[in-house]
Amino acid sequence: MSPWPFRRALPPGAVRSDDSEIREEIELYIELRAEELVREGVPPEEARELAERRFGDVARIEAELRRGGRAGGWERGRRAMGALGRDVAYALRTFRRSPGFVAVAVLTLGVAVGGNTAIFSVVDAALVQALPFPRHDGLVVLEGYQNVNGEKAVRWASAPEFRDWRERSRTVSLMAAVGQPTLTLTGDGQAERVDGEVVSEDYFRILGVDAAVGRTFTEEEQATPDAHPVAVISWSLWQRRYAGDRSVVGRTIQVDERPFTVVGVLPRGFQGVSLAADVFLPMSMISVPYGSGILQSRGARFLTVIGHLANGATPSAAQAELNRIARDLATEYPDTHQGRGCLIQTFRDFYLGATLGSSLGTSASTTARLLWVLLGAGAVLLLIAAANVANLLLVRAHARNREIVVRRALGAGAGRLARQLLTESLVLALLGGVVGLALGAWGLSLLVRFTPDGVLPAYATPTLNPRVFAYSLAMLAGAGVLAGLAPAVAGVRVQIADGLREGGWGAVSGGGARRLWGGHVFVVLQVALALALLTGAGLLVRSVRAQMAVNPGIDLDGLVAFRVSLPRTRYPSRGDITSFSRELLGRVREIPGVRAASLSSSLPFRGGNTGTFVHTDRDLGTPVRVWYHLVSPATLQTLGARLRSGRFINEGDASGAPAVTVISEAMAKRAFPGENPLGHEIYLGRDSTTSNGAEVVGVLDDVRYRNLTEDLMAAANSPDVYYSLLQIPSRTLEVAVRVAGDPAAAIPSLRKVVAALDPSLPVYQANPLVDDWRAQTARPRFAAFLMAVFSGLAAVLACVGIYGVLAFSVGRRSREIAVRRAVGASASNVAWNVVEDGLRLAMAGLVLGVLLALVGGRVLRGLLFGVGTMDPVTLASVVGLMAAVAVASAVVPAWRAARRDPAEALNTE
Amino acid sequence: MSGSDLFTGTLDILILRTVSASPLHGYAIGKALRDGSEGVLSVEEGALYPALHRLERKGLLGAEWGRTETGRRAKFYRITAAGVAHLDAEATRWAEYSGAVTAILGRTSR
Repeated sequence: MSPWPFRRALPPGAVRSDDSEIREEIELYIELRAEELVREGVPPEEARELAERRFGDVARIEAELRRGGRAGGWERGRRAMGALGRDVAYALRTFRRSPGFVAVAVLTLGVAVGGNTAIFSVVDAALVQALPFPRHDGLVVLEGYQNVNGEKAVRWASAPEFRDWRERSRTVSLMAAVGQPTLTLTGDGQAERVDGEVVSEDYFRILGVDAAVGRTFTEEEQATPDAHPVAVISWSLWQRRYAGDRSVVGRTIQVDERPFTVVGVLPRGFQGVSLAADVFLPMSMISVPYGSGILQSRGARFLTVIGHLANGATPSAAQAELNRIARDLATEYPDTHQGRGCLIQTFRDFYLGATLGSSLGTSASTTARLLWVLLGAGAVLLLIAAANVANLLLVRAHARNREIVVRRALGAGAGRLARQLLTESLVLALLGGVVGLALGAWGLSLLVRFTPDGVLPAYATPTLNPRVFAYSLAMLAGAGVLAGLAPAVAGVRVQIADGLREGGWGAVSGGGARRLWGGHVFVVLQVALALALLTGAGLLVRSVRAQMAVNPGIDLDGLVAFRVSLPRTRYPSRGDITSFSRELLGRVREIPGVRAASLSSSLPFRGGNTGTFVHTDRDLGTPVRVWYHLVSPATLQTLGARLRSGRFINEGDASGAPAVTVISEAMAKRAFPGENPLGHEIYLGRDSTTSNGAEVVGVLDDVRYRNLTEDLMAAANSPDVYYSLLQIPSRTLEVAVRVAGDPAAAIPSLRKVVAALDPSLPVYQANPLVDDWRAQTARPRFAAFLMAVFSGLAAVLACVGIYGVLAFSVGRRSREIAVRRAVGASASNVAWNVVEDGLRLAMAGLVLGVLLALVGGRVLRGLLFGVGTMDPVTLASVVGLMAAVAVASAVVPAWRAARRDPAEALNTE
Repeated sequence: MSGSDLFTGTLDILILRTVSASPLHGYAIGKALRDGSEGVLSVEEGALYPALHRLERKGLLGAEWGRTETGRRAKFYRITAAGVAHLDAEATRWAEYSGAVTAILGRTSR
């Protein structure tokens, strides 16, 4: 019978209390109790069962008696579980009695946990989640760059440079080069511009990717130039354009108007290292998108290089080796390799950096840091929420003081009471967690829907995965324990001896003072943390506004742009390009509502800038790196750019006429400091010859082509120069159109014009120019928005905290307030006192918060533009805002204090 | 809340007080407690037995098997000298406690 087999080994008589006697004793009780129940009118058939139920857990009590009152391990566990169950049930019962308290506490935790869940899933997606490649251990990206005044200024490597790296490097065992042209698909269905990748041998091997249908390229196909027009397509293009038809393998498709045979379809989700490619061509077919001879030119830099580290090689060893190789190349080919370098990055860093698109190498850490800052803000919000709940529990514990004192007096152990209080907060945390996960899922779906492109790396798709759940749970548990410990400790502190000595109230007010002090500490912390978060948000918002206030140098209103790319096959000559351009411009200008239209090789904020070196007649020996733009005559009026001096490029600057150039103000200051640049000559190239000269005929106010934040006069940044499109034609044309009214509405008629001219010419990147401008600030706006949401919530929570403490103290001091009213204090006096209390409470928090903000603001260094981390305007307005919040939180308690009828308040005592 | 947690100390005093007049078996003690306290102490009636056995082990109660009026075999508990002394001390302390508790409850009920 005994569940403890070892007891059988005991000698007879050693058993403390005879099992049968215990059973007999209990049996008698139940029998007699049943008889009693029958006498009271319970039907005899139910009486025994009821008696047993009243007795409680017979088996448990029996077992306890058998062991002489000491519960065994199993039994103890069962009892603890029973106690836990009772604690939980008790907690739920008490919650039912105060739904307001529970609602506020659960919502507080829920909002904080929800915010953390959402932001963590974003961080997880960007920094933790696997990249969309079968393997990426040991994979690196090698980016060629140009050292311009100590900064890594330009990306890409030339084909000979890539071959040199590959031959000379020992630390990188495999290397492949990737060019990323935009390709035109025609023939089968609508003309379409797709992202392409031209890849060298070993590309698919390095990434560990094989074709899902068909095959990738053979060695033979890669070896002979222009001999094997074969292509591999992405899964998504296969589904979209070819409806998943397996017979597409072997079919001929038109890529840039040339027939290519599809040999394979790549696995689902793989779109090359560009994360966007739909068509892959072998490097041997490079001439189709880029023209012939490009693989031989050391100056044609257009390749991204990927590689696999050799066994045992570290990225830093590889970096050291490639630095050496770059130096060797600079000695061997001084003309083309002077100041060239190679940056080695892991794939993740490469993508994190690429999304920011600015200076190479520093951007990856900036992106990561921004995400960490947001995650930290989430954690701070959670701390504030925990403090808030702790405060609520404290106030509640105080209100329950009588219950606690009585229970202590009746013999409940301190540990037992603390456990009860802790259970309550954990149950609250659990409820908060459920609400939090729901809010988090909702918040994340909003975040994913409204996050603009380019904010997160392309591979990052935030999801609620097990890692996110684990993080949320950890945050939740932390908040629950933090919030629960304070009142638990305070509850235990109630000293019965005090209660006895002082005759009742002593215990309550004595303990109460301590606990209220605890409440004050939490409110001060809340105010301080909220202030720090608000400061962060304020700084980010001001930084965004500063960026948006930067003069782009053009008038964005009513500007719409699109791009076309004239294929070599159908527009082989210069004349073809020129006549198409003229025809296109003429027809666009005939569209009703169009005020001006122009062509250029590049437009602000839309990429496609070309860098080159020039030198001037003022200083032949010093090459200046510039961005050059080919523009049609009407560009000035269309963009709304401002001429500073001289004239702009006009119809007269045609082929055959003397070469002219217009330079930007930054170029004028750099190349012709303190001089009038008009009439000077600028020569293309970095050698000191005077060929390819063009006369400077005008100076233009700076136009921001690449971003809003760079200092155009900084040594590392290159200025802009403009040449006549009539003198140097371009196959890729940006068409800028200024319209009256909504620029987006003009897009269909613009497409129609192009289709009428050449039905197989795709129109791409068609959108109002203001969209491209807005995309520039997408990331800072995203960060500022999230920070503003977090800090707004933090301020609301702090508000609730202040309110709670004040309302509580008004309630507790109602007798004192009534007495003061009775002896002549006016209602406004009383109300003002409460507001003062609130402000005093907030003051300490404000002081601490300013200190926190000054110290914590440093994490934003490098993430801000046009505003310092200790911006006094931000600090002042945030302090003012928090003070206003404190006053607002005091209004209701103050009103309540003033309204209280003194007679009534005194009578209730 | 179970009786054993809330009233550990109190239950002991009440039991000692109940058997101080004459020896009683478990059911009779339980009934007396229930009747005397208007049901407050009867959440789990069986909790009485661990208390009885504990008091017996501590020597505050003695026990022997006997017969009830209806002739059933039952274990009767009686108070020992040590039990009487303990009851005295605890009763005094309890009077102080309950005075304080009553004062609080009386003054602050709304």
